Amino acid sequence: MQPTDYELLVGMLAGDEEAFTALYRRRQGPVYRFALQMTGNVVIAEDVTQEVFMALLSKTAKYDPARGSLASFLYGVARNLVLRRIEKTAEIEDYAGPEDILDDLTRRETVENVRRAVLSLPPVYREAVVLCDINDTSYEEAARVLDCPIGTVRSRLNRGRSMLAQKLAVRSSV
Amino acid sequence: MKELLRALAESDREKEAPPEVEVRLRAAFRRKHRRRVWPYFAAAAAVATVLLIRIPKPQTMEIAVVTPSVPVLPVAEKPIAVHQKRRPPREIVTEFYPLMEDPMPFENGELLRVSLPAAAMRSVGVPVSEDRLTEMVQADVLVGQEGLARAIRFVNTSSNRP
Repeated sequence: MQPTDYELLVGMLAGDEEAFTALYRRRQGPVYRFALQMTGNVVIAEDVTQEVFMALLSKTAKYDPARGSLASFLYGVARNLVLRRIEKTAEIEDYAGPEDILDDLTRRETVENVRRAVLSLPPVYREAVVLCDINDTSYEEAARVLDCPIGTVRSRLNRGRSMLAQKLAVRSSV
Repeated sequence: MKELLRALAESDREKEAPPEVEVRLRAAFRRKHRRRVWPYFAAAAAVATVLLIRIPKPQTMEIAVVTPSVPVLPVAEKPIAVHQKRRPPREIVTEFYPLMEDPMPFENGELLRVSLPAAAMRSVGVPVSEDRLTEMVQADVLVGQEGLARAIRFVNTSSNRP
């Protein structure tokens, strides 16, 4: 039976490097992908992932299991770091979208178009879309990560989706 | 719209942080864990040393200033032989390794010379071969104004090679 995140965290606190490594390997992927999808930059995603786990090493006491899962906690730390980076760089350009996305025949191009469209959303809508629509985070968990009510997550998601639809100029909405 | 976002999710599903991030984090974990153990060990060693060894205080010398009553003689052509004191054995010291995380600003403190098993050097990352772990080595422990060991450096003399 696999140890839970919390059991690994306790082992990590006791100085068990293998517990820390197991926890890192289990949770780094979602953190890295969240940072990547929020910034579109692999270097920032790498830095953020490292900083999130460094924060876990140095401030583990701040994690309260009663307030949510460790996964949510890590997303929350990653979110703060990502928003700081976005504020600093502010280099993500606006994306007007292709003339007709169906003209982009390859799947890869389509994915990259979607990625750029997501990156061009304002951060407040982008994080809702990245968490709920791309990473399958529940509304409840997203609300904890984003530190807002569930209703706010829903409305941001709706607004983000409609902005995306406009940007991508999906044929059905044209 | 959902299908397009699914496609993006699918394309990123295997993306992960590069392996060097894990290497860096594990190194940080080891450093952190080592630091937790070390202050107590070093502080205990420092206290034990203070109790066992009397650190000789430097002796003061009174120097009488004498005004010459005769004119200064010209400098001799041959250099005058000066008897030099035998120098103490030359010491080579390592850098200081921190023993505290986020210490208070250093105001004043003491540097204490202690003897420790060579195994202690490993705790701060200095390589020591297995067969020398029990050998005693000398070290200087920097104790801060709060009485805690803040850093340590190892000393290599002719009779003591870290």
